[in-house]
Amino acid sequence: MKKTLLLAAAFGTLLFASCNNSDDDPVDPPVVVEAPATYSFERDGATSVSFSGQTTRILMAEEIIDAMKDPSFTEAQIDAMYDHVQGTNNFADANLNAADKSVRGKTAASFDFFSANATVAQQVKADFDSWIQEQVNDVYPAWNNTASAGVAGNLQEAGGGSIRYINAKGLELNQAFNKGLIGALMVDQMINNYISNQVLDNFAADNDAETLVDGKNYTDMEHDWDEAYGYLYGTATDLTNPNPTVGGDDSFLNKYLGRVEGDADFAGIADDIYNALKLGRAAIVAKDYDLRNEQAEIIREKVSTIVGVRSVYYLQQAKNGLEAGTVDYASVFHDLSEAFGFIYSLQFTRQTNSSNPYFTRSEVDALIDQFYGSLTNGFWDLTPAILQDMSDTIAAKFSFTVDMAGS
Amino acid sequence: MYKKFLALVVFAGLIFACSSSGGGGGVDPGDDDVFVDNFDRGAMLTALADQVITQAYDGFHTQMIMLNQAGMNFVAAPDQTTLSNLRNGWFNAYKVWQYIEMFNIGKAEELQYSFYMNVYPLSVTDVENNITNGGYDLYAVGNQDAVGFPALDYLLYGLADNDADILAKYTTDVNADGYKTYLTDVLTQMDDLTRLVVNDWGEGYRDTFINNSGNTSTSSLNILVNSFVQYYEKKLRANKIGIPAGVFSGNPLPDKVEALYRKNGSKELAEIALQAVEDFFNGKQYNGGAEAESFKTYLSYLDRDDISNNILSQINTAQAQLNSLSNNFYEQVNTDNSQMLMTYDELQKVVVFIKNDMPNAFNVSIVFQDNDGD
Repeated sequence: MKKTLLLAAAFGTLLFASCNNSDDDPVDPPVVVEAPATYSFERDGATSVSFSGQTTRILMAEEIIDAMKDPSFTEAQIDAMYDHVQGTNNFADANLNAADKSVRGKTAASFDFFSANATVAQQVKADFDSWIQEQVNDVYPAWNNTASAGVAGNLQEAGGGSIRYINAKGLELNQAFNKGLIGALMVDQMINNYISNQVLDNFAADNDAETLVDGKNYTDMEHDWDEAYGYLYGTATDLTNPNPTVGGDDSFLNKYLGRVEGDADFAGIADDIYNALKLGRAAIVAKDYDLRNEQAEIIREKVSTIVGVRSVYYLQQAKNGLEAGTVDYASVFHDLSEAFGFIYSLQFTRQTNSSNPYFTRSEVDALIDQFYGSLTNGFWDLTPAILQDMSDTIAAKFSFTVDMAGS
Repeated sequence: MYKKFLALVVFAGLIFACSSSGGGGGVDPGDDDVFVDNFDRGAMLTALADQVITQAYDGFHTQMIMLNQAGMNFVAAPDQTTLSNLRNGWFNAYKVWQYIEMFNIGKAEELQYSFYMNVYPLSVTDVENNITNGGYDLYAVGNQDAVGFPALDYLLYGLADNDADILAKYTTDVNADGYKTYLTDVLTQMDDLTRLVVNDWGEGYRDTFINNSGNTSTSSLNILVNSFVQYYEKKLRANKIGIPAGVFSGNPLPDKVEALYRKNGSKELAEIALQAVEDFFNGKQYNGGAEAESFKTYLSYLDRDDISNNILSQINTAQAQLNSLSNNFYEQVNTDNSQMLMTYDELQKVVVFIKNDMPNAFNVSIVFQDNDGD
């Protein structure tokens, strides 16, 4: 990948140079922007990279999804964790309590998708609020009951496996919240905000002049790009060289990049994203905004692919489970609940060279309606045919097939 | 993936075009089939079915009938003698079970046979709730950790600290009838399931199995290889050694050993399981006698004896390490867990040979996956 980019850069430079030959002006030596070996950038001997706010939000989100599996929590407690106010003791981790960040504040909050779409932004936040509410009010009281069609409670997976806690329609609300947040927070902030040229170009003059943010060692544009990096790698074991542990560093976007990387059909996607993040950041330092935008496009495509692949993967896993000789409903509903969250997240993806998601909010609503909302008892009423149809619908919009994503 | 697949087809085709003499050629390519080699897969499947798998099933079925009978004798007259006989019947059957748990194919897969026979750790809470409340459905998926051999382990050894108090549960306890009924119901379920699986092999599944000799994801060899590897990785390496040793949790979990309540059976069961894996690889008949066509002879046909040698030599190393452990893994984990971890490491070294090298040589894809972990 790196070689290709270098070649492309060299080739582009050659063309550029040959055009300039007709000019009488002296030609500057061609500048080739090179990505560093790791995500490390310095100014005056000190790091210019910062994404602590993203690390903080990922850690907050981890505590929230834990609370959604613990019936000792009240709705007010979890709401307060989600909509944290600085200095409030919502979290076990004191650093999070002291932080001025909140997860809810950045839910459906990207510039590109939501700056002029407050209506939908509020609807998305209300969805997350409603999942907390339903979990506490409907599922927690039924925690020790056995679930059945139309009845909330628990089901155990085969082989003495995990116990799943579901609502009356078979949905694990904590999974809806967890996987939905991957789209509404991590993906949306990363690809529709912090690497958006509409956001970054505002800082072009300052970046050209290398004007630093007050009291910081970075320009605004550098920092924004780092924040995009942080939503994927903010809790990595090695923050500058994160891919050796990709998939094991959080319960959100990093985890599922690791899962998709582990599918031979998509191997290499983690390096593609990481390399584009490095080169884009180097391009900002070099003030080469076209190169930056090219990397942003790569990141948008690959990150969107993660969400698309996992949507289809879980639908196919659930379909296989429904077709088994003995149906393991707890396991099937778990897959479906993950699918629910990833499908929800599709509205925050981004088509290549476009301002549109792969699936609009209303298209996502229709998909969710097809396998959940429109069925009296939700997941309990599903057929394999519905899941196949949805898989086909989703894969058709991406550059992968159902077979590639499904295993 | 598709491109790689296509390249393979073309490549295989080239080789085929160049080879003038082949073997038996039992492969009958269907629409999705990939031509692999001229090894007679059908003959190997026949040998494995007739001389290995069904023999082991018959051996287990015999033990299961004796176990069930010993259970009925005990329930009719619970005393020290019938308890001892039942315990013997239970452990004898448990040992032979180690030879068939790896066959998660056909009816066994459809019924989730092994999940109703040997899921541990047992949920004692579920067992006791079932006994106290009655009205249970032992076929509910959620009861898979409340039935089978582990439930019997608890019912025969774990109800109290000494035999007199255990017998009291079946005689003078206020819910003695509940205990007797539960014991009977667990045995009946095990017996019923075993009958269904064994009979299915006798009533047509054998023919389906040996005739399905192609190379698609649903062909017999593909399913068998996947089932074999998954068994080795999950049920043997992880469940018997890795999980109690804390490989996946960071902390040792001695309560998760097999046959926890009998105390000193866990090593013997693990040794038999590893022997069964070696025997199956070699195509060794369950009742003794000559080795049949097997994964080993297939590798030999492909000129890949090196893989067989790696597998067998590493299994031998793992066996030696396993043999050095205490008879009681619960005790081993608590006294010197490092020996358990070393055993896990030796077992793990077999995985790369049976999960990568062998399936690659057979051109069989490993398709089972570990679950998400959340």
